[in-house]
Amino acid sequence: MLDFGQVTLELGSLLFQVIVFIILLIAVSKFATGPISAMLEKRRQHVENEISAAERSRQEAETLLSEQRRLLDEARNEAKAILDRVTKQAGDEAARIVEEARATAERLKAEAQADLAREVEKAKAELREQVTGLSVLLASKIIEKELDEATQKSSIDQFLKQVGDRL
Amino acid sequence: MRFRWLGMVFDIPTMIMTVITAVIVFLFLFFMTRRMHAGVPSGRQNVIEWVFDFVRGIAGNFMDAKTATKFVTLGLTLFIYIFISNQLGVAFNITTHHTGQVSERVLDMLSVSGTPEAEEAKRAVIEEKLAAGEGVEIAWWKSPTATPSVTFALALCVLLYSHYIGIRKSFSGWFKHVFLNPIHILEEFIIKPLTLPLRLFGNIFAGEVLIGFLLAGGVFASIPLFLWEGYSVFVGSIQAFIFLALSMVYISQQANDGH
Repeated sequence: MLDFGQVTLELGSLLFQVIVFIILLIAVSKFATGPISAMLEKRRQHVENEISAAERSRQEAETLLSEQRRLLDEARNEAKAILDRVTKQAGDEAARIVEEARATAERLKAEAQADLAREVEKAKAELREQVTGLSVLLASKIIEKELDEATQKSSIDQFLKQVGDRL
Repeated sequence: MRFRWLGMVFDIPTMIMTVITAVIVFLFLFFMTRRMHAGVPSGRQNVIEWVFDFVRGIAGNFMDAKTATKFVTLGLTLFIYIFISNQLGVAFNITTHHTGQVSERVLDMLSVSGTPEAEEAKRAVIEEKLAAGEGVEIAWWKSPTATPSVTFALALCVLLYSHYIGIRKSFSGWFKHVFLNPIHILEEFIIKPLTLPLRLFGNIFAGEVLIGFLLAGGVFASIPLFLWEGYSVFVGSIQAFIFLALSMVYISQQANDGH
């Protein structure tokens, strides 16, 4: 022990203080800083997890966004294709209808022409028959006057020819 | 009031104050660290986290973060223990005044000293005072850090621990660092063990002596006493900080690679 009157240094008090301080250190380590360190470690992990979770969801959102974008593009293209196809189909249909109408008209026109031609032929034949009959009648009338058949025949042929040319 | 046991002298008021301070520190830390949660801190958890980060920051100034974390418990306990010790003597002191006749046993305890001659002299002085009716005073409540035994004990803990770290890391490295340079021998065995505790003791003891002096001044000294009390709180905080910082420096000198 050192003694300077008011100031003294005692070995016993010193050792007692060392022991008390070591006990305090152990107690603090067990009951105070231990829980603090555990809590800080827990918080560190929590923050770490939160950051990685945020990163994950960001990536997920990005993937979903690109997926959505791709789907939208796809749908847009499909719609365009359908529209194109429909337009083309409608155009084809219209052309077909017009073509059909034209063909029908052509057919009807041709039929009508054919009918007309037949009618003309028929009329011609009828007329020829009638003319022949009349000619014969005329000829028999003439023969009654002059029985020169040969002369008559040539004049009848000539007449017929003239009729035929006029028709 | 002292007694002798196993050839060592124990000072009873110092031991009482030491235990009281340790209990206060423990209860404070225990209460502050209850019901903590890892989420957003609130209330007292903010305070203890701030203190924890403060100590870790000081240790981190001299060591890398991972090494620093190992010494936070020591640093935190040292800091709060010294801080509370320093403030205990500022608020009030308890002294008992004894006059008249005291028992032989108390007289023995009062006169315990280093050498028999000093003990005789001390006993004579006390007996003289008691006979003159002046009486003797025993200080029961004071800052533990106003006693050299306490500050030397704390410094001893820190310095021995720092050497233990150095030896455990590499005995040859520690040996070379401590013994191969005369300046280092001087530093490790004289300068550090003396300056670290005496700086703290001197500041706090001087503060208490001046408080005692101003208390004797009565009403006229009330304003200086008020100012000095405020300054003592400041000095107590600063000294706790300095002790903590120097402890961390000394530990880092042994814990870090290369010097």
